[in-house]
Amino acid sequence: MSNLLSNMLSPGFFFSIFRISAPILYATLAAIVVEKAGFANIGLEGLMMFSALFGSLASYYSQSWLVGFLVALLVGVGMSLLMGFFAFQLETDIILVGIAVNLMGSGGTLFLCKIITDITEGKAMASTTGLITSKLCIPNINIPVIRSIPFIGRVLSGHSLLTYTAFLMCILTSIMLYRTSLGLNIRAVGENANAAASVGVSVLKIKYIAIAFSGLMSGFGGAFMSMSYAQGWSQDMVAGRGFIALAAQAMGGGECLGGMFSSLLFGFAQALGIKFSSVGLDSNLASPIPYAITIISLAIFGFVRISRAKKPKVAA
Amino acid sequence: MMKRLLALTMAGILAVGMTACGGAPAVTDAPAAPAEGAAAAEEAAPAEEAAPAEEGKVYNVAYLVNGNLGDKSFFDSAKSGLDELEKAGRITCTTIEMGGTDEDQPRWASTLDEVSADGSYDLIICGTYQMPDYLKEAATNYPDQKYAIFDDTTYVGESPNVVNLSYRQNDMGYLIGTFAASMTTDTSVENINPDPVVGFVGGVDSPVINDFLLGFIEGAQAVNSDIKVDVRYTNDYVDTAIAKEYGLSMINDNKCDIVWGVAGNAGNGAAEAALETGKAWFIGVDSDQELTLSPDLAALTLTSGLKNIGNSLIWLFDEWDAGRTYWGQEVNLGIAEGGVGIVTDKNYDKYASDATKAAVSQAEADILSGKITVDSAIGDTSGKVEELKKAVQP
Repeated sequence: MSNLLSNMLSPGFFFSIFRISAPILYATLAAIVVEKAGFANIGLEGLMMFSALFGSLASYYSQSWLVGFLVALLVGVGMSLLMGFFAFQLETDIILVGIAVNLMGSGGTLFLCKIITDITEGKAMASTTGLITSKLCIPNINIPVIRSIPFIGRVLSGHSLLTYTAFLMCILTSIMLYRTSLGLNIRAVGENANAAASVGVSVLKIKYIAIAFSGLMSGFGGAFMSMSYAQGWSQDMVAGRGFIALAAQAMGGGECLGGMFSSLLFGFAQALGIKFSSVGLDSNLASPIPYAITIISLAIFGFVRISRAKKPKVAA
Repeated sequence: MMKRLLALTMAGILAVGMTACGGAPAVTDAPAAPAEGAAAAEEAAPAEEAAPAEEGKVYNVAYLVNGNLGDKSFFDSAKSGLDELEKAGRITCTTIEMGGTDEDQPRWASTLDEVSADGSYDLIICGTYQMPDYLKEAATNYPDQKYAIFDDTTYVGESPNVVNLSYRQNDMGYLIGTFAASMTTDTSVENINPDPVVGFVGGVDSPVINDFLLGFIEGAQAVNSDIKVDVRYTNDYVDTAIAKEYGLSMINDNKCDIVWGVAGNAGNGAAEAALETGKAWFIGVDSDQELTLSPDLAALTLTSGLKNIGNSLIWLFDEWDAGRTYWGQEVNLGIAEGGVGIVTDKNYDKYASDATKAAVSQAEADILSGKITVDSAIGDTSGKVEELKKAVQP
């Protein structure tokens, strides 16, 4: 038990919370914005898979992480616009489009990886892990002054560039939603599309912007997965983070700050599970900890919301 | 609200579906008895004690690669074994590369069918988890044709003309355990700390993975009875990031300086943890991962536990020559048959001390001579894996 505490009070523990939270936070922001625009994008997982694959491939072929990163963003946006085309123009149910993207994100990426790289499968599934070296990964940033502060420096400094931008994006997204006319339009379309249309807002355009934004965030998340968190893409490597983000979005009440805290809560829970396993807790008990905490928090959140909603009625 | 609920439900269903797909293939009981040198073959109960094949028979073999050669892994390993047999004048081998993309898959079935219909081959060899369905169909259509499939046990015994070659991971684990336990206190090597703690990142807490683990712990304990083994499971075979988190925790919290990754692609996360901390080494599994990982990660991969596909094919022909055949069975090949081993060149040669190398070859010799029998976690219900894990918990 003392071991557990000392492991938990190490800077490494707090450092890992941010690292684990970052990709979930990206996907959560994606989920928040589309939800504000009045629909759900459950294809985040698949979008992240595509971005992760193409980011790592572009990084390898160009020998530049920056190119890889930009391609990851581009692929995220491109794929999401395609989703939008199917959902808004061809009027496919957006949930079905999301499922399709998720399925393609699992099998289709493997297919593309094999076609593009000619890597075949002897034992392991084809992956780009053999192609990506440290210098093709997104760099870690040491923050000049903060790094020298004891403890805090080791928690806050030295993260991947994309970990910092995740929290930055959280602030920017919040500003976008509440301080710009675009944000107002997105929320208006989400609240009542017909009302928004009646005052001259192009609902279609706003929906496209919202889904493209979710693709952009998925691009960030995918690039983080394959070019920072792990070196290179391998099949199903996003491993459900795109789905956890949907829960984080709901848990955070659909707001950026709430979403950030839910992502951090999930990161904390995951880090906690890992520390528990470091002192010998059975992995079958340790690994569900993040999910259990998510479910419990969702339940508490739901309960609080229901009881809040009931109060005015009682007063009346 | 309805829509959101639907979305979440769908998400849940998908998530469950995806985890379910990540599972390891089912494993059947190996008919082969514990390896005991040359006696192993008899104990594996050959299906037919046919009269020894005519002296110096040259087998006509077709090797169908469901991918391309040059994978530095199973396909190349099988090819090297067949090349050796061909050079010795024991077989004539036709190798057909069928391509590895999903587009090529229809060709796998048609090629298998053509080669079977040809009828001129004594044996058709293929391998990996992608082939059993195609093979089963061909084996049913051509009951007189003999087939061998390596590293797959999906349909053991269902076709009386197919032999399934599988590999004894506990033997492999024992060698790796011996190696890791010898290395972990050799502080003359950089990044090695004095604490006798080694790590194991497994895929799922399942009999197959625990078979690797059991051998690993037994081998490590044989070298150093005070050894600690930090065991973590990623609970899937795909989440490299979580494997990396576990690796980081093992290295930072429990002072592991050598981590063996046995979790499919996710296992490489342990190598990335070693790279990031700069305080540990990685050991690969199945094929020589020094050849397939990126240069950064290969540089800190000390060795890999090997499934020697090539050797297992040579063994198969040795047995056939001796009149022992295993059609319709699974043969589980250990060190005695050359089916598993450890990479001993490159980084192993460079970093391992003479004492470490001696310990590994001694362990190999002891298993070969039957002095040591490595326990298996497959089919074990005594709970000894759990006990052992607790005993070595750092």
